[in-house]
Amino acid sequence: MINAWIRRLLPLLLALAAAGAQAHKASDAYLRLTPAADGGTQLRWDIALRDLDAVLDLDGDGDARLTWAEVRAAWTAIDNLALRSLSVPGCSWRVRDHGLEQRGDGAYAVLWLHSTCELSQVRQLQYRLFRDDDPTHRGLLRAGGDDASVILLDPRAGAVELPALQSTSASDGRPQPSLVAEGVRHIVGGTDHVLFLLCLLLPAVVRRTPQGWQPVQRITQAAWPVLAIVTAFTVAHSISLAVAVSGLWLPSPAFIEPAIAVTIVLAAFDNLRPVLGRRRIVVTFLFGLVHGFGFAGPLMELELSPGALAWALLRFNLGIECGQLAIVGLGLAALFALRRWRAYPAWVLQGGSAAAVATGVFWFAQRTMM
Amino acid sequence: MKPLLRALFAGLLLAAGAAAARPITPASDSEVVETLPLAGAQRSQLQRLRRAIAAQPGDASLAAQLARKLLEQARHNGEPRFAGQALAVLQRWSDDPRDDGGTELQLVLADTEQHLHDFERATRRVQGLVQRDAGSPQAWLMLATLQRVQGRYAASDQACRTLARLGAALHANACLAENAALRGDTEAARRTLQQLVAANRDAATQAWLSTTLAELEARAGRPAAAEAAFRASLAAQPDAYAAIALADLLIAQRRPREVAALLASLPRSDGVLLRLSVAARDAHSPQADALMRELRERLAELAQRSGATPHAREQAMAALYVEGDAMRALQLARSNVRLQREPIDVLLLAQAARASGQSEALNEGRALAREIGLHDQRLDS
Repeated sequence: MINAWIRRLLPLLLALAAAGAQAHKASDAYLRLTPAADGGTQLRWDIALRDLDAVLDLDGDGDARLTWAEVRAAWTAIDNLALRSLSVPGCSWRVRDHGLEQRGDGAYAVLWLHSTCELSQVRQLQYRLFRDDDPTHRGLLRAGGDDASVILLDPRAGAVELPALQSTSASDGRPQPSLVAEGVRHIVGGTDHVLFLLCLLLPAVVRRTPQGWQPVQRITQAAWPVLAIVTAFTVAHSISLAVAVSGLWLPSPAFIEPAIAVTIVLAAFDNLRPVLGRRRIVVTFLFGLVHGFGFAGPLMELELSPGALAWALLRFNLGIECGQLAIVGLGLAALFALRRWRAYPAWVLQGGSAAAVATGVFWFAQRTMM
Repeated sequence: MKPLLRALFAGLLLAAGAAAARPITPASDSEVVETLPLAGAQRSQLQRLRRAIAAQPGDASLAAQLARKLLEQARHNGEPRFAGQALAVLQRWSDDPRDDGGTELQLVLADTEQHLHDFERATRRVQGLVQRDAGSPQAWLMLATLQRVQGRYAASDQACRTLARLGAALHANACLAENAALRGDTEAARRTLQQLVAANRDAATQAWLSTTLAELEARAGRPAAAEAAFRASLAAQPDAYAAIALADLLIAQRRPREVAALLASLPRSDGVLLRLSVAARDAHSPQADALMRELRERLAELAQRSGATPHAREQAMAALYVEGDAMRALQLARSNVRLQREPIDVLLLAQAARASGQSEALNEGRALAREIGLHDQRLDS
């Protein structure tokens, strides 16, 4: 017969220092300071819904199933808690946007805070989240680029100095590169996209006739078909770029990069042996979808809030289209000038396409073996 | 052309499936975005207590009651957040020499601290407590256990004997027998534990004593007897600690296929996930890759909290058994034994040292065992 008092210790005896019965990581929040597009500072703050529920009672109906409606109804309370729990001398914050994020230990609320302070002015940070609710809670702050080390924020400790920010402020504080310019750079500098576009252009200035390849007479005869096919490509890559950047769906680069190489091989091969025929425009559209996913990378690295995203996407895409227009315009003009050259079909069209096939195959091999 | 295109888009779909989208974009208001560990009566009971304490913040008995409930949930769900919340509830009595909130509250506090692997602080707290209130058997039992976990068997014996004087004969005898077994006095300890198992038919007591006996047999190099005792413990009362220890035994016995079923019903703590991953890999199970990925993801999250980690044991085990990174495992196992020195920790150090192939590290586990007086056959195999 054991006494009631000592019986209560049984769970202790069984669980004491239990090999791994101590579960999971404790409560963490993730913070990331970056320069905002308007010259101010953006703070992205991920807080576990489990932690928020313990303090704010998010699960109103107590069924342990936290719905999107329950979270949305609590945004104001969550914002107030967050804003109360953080101070940076001389800077005030407001919440610009909300989101949700899945992490290893559950779903997190994502808050995008904004301050008009420049990042270099953020030198000291006082963190008090869950100070009276869970002393084991920590904020994991990253300030600056991906390589920035994590600063551990203890809600019960004093203010933390942020020396890393000052030392890297030269690079982090610089104005954001224009997204339009970034878009132009991305397509003009992306050899694979340029090569694909050239493959589409090569046959435009000549026509297949029973007497062999014949140069077109007027530039419009070349321009209209090119316009149609480039439009198909543009619409398609705009769609997939938007899908990827909005977080709806992004195929792995491990697949997209080789797939882009495949599109080059196929487009170039079609110049040598026509296999696509009238479907050329449809297939170009499908290939455009693949390339659009390839464009998404640099934009995603900026970790924009949903509100800022649409505008950023528009500017970035505008840059891509400008760059593309320049390539197509210059390429078409050059090819148009060359079209009467007797060796054009053999050297430029066939030779160029064969070279593109070879390049595409090489890239495919390179990208799949990495 | 067509098959090529088809292949292209099949690949696109596959790749999308693999890159599990991290941001959640709920399609409707009714979409469930998170499942919480507590529902219904348990949840409302905690909230009632929280409200009562908000109204009477200085009420030590309410605070101890809430903290104990939270700690039970931390254990039951494998969710350390509850332990952190328990600590918050008790905070105001943590270091106040004028008002310690009473023995019961201090015990819950020490229990919470040790649950969060702060063994040093918990030990100091209980030592202070027995000086003020020497008549608390719970305090002496906790002290005995804390000292044992840190490899101080003599100090643990002393606490066990005080327990005997206070009339808690069963616990005192089991306490002394366990220490004796750790020191290698296996025969006598086995007899005592077997007698106690036979004399106490209460399920929780059976489970506890059988687990102690099973660990004794495992150290004595008798896996069949150990397995039988673990199974008896689990039959008396299911428990994560015993299940995980049995899983380790099965993995060591090269019977990984039996592990998944054994651990299926437990909350997926890091320790459980670790055993599932190792077993799945050893069994060449198709789930192995997904389990390893989940484990690595969690460890990466853990590693962001630099400094002393209460998870060094699991981290060292993962480095050794999953990543095959013996040097890192050795480093982690070394820092782990500064925190806790249960046989599994010493064994881990020895195995990491052996795997690292460093001659000076080779005998580290055995040297530590000698230092604390631990006898474990597995160290010699």
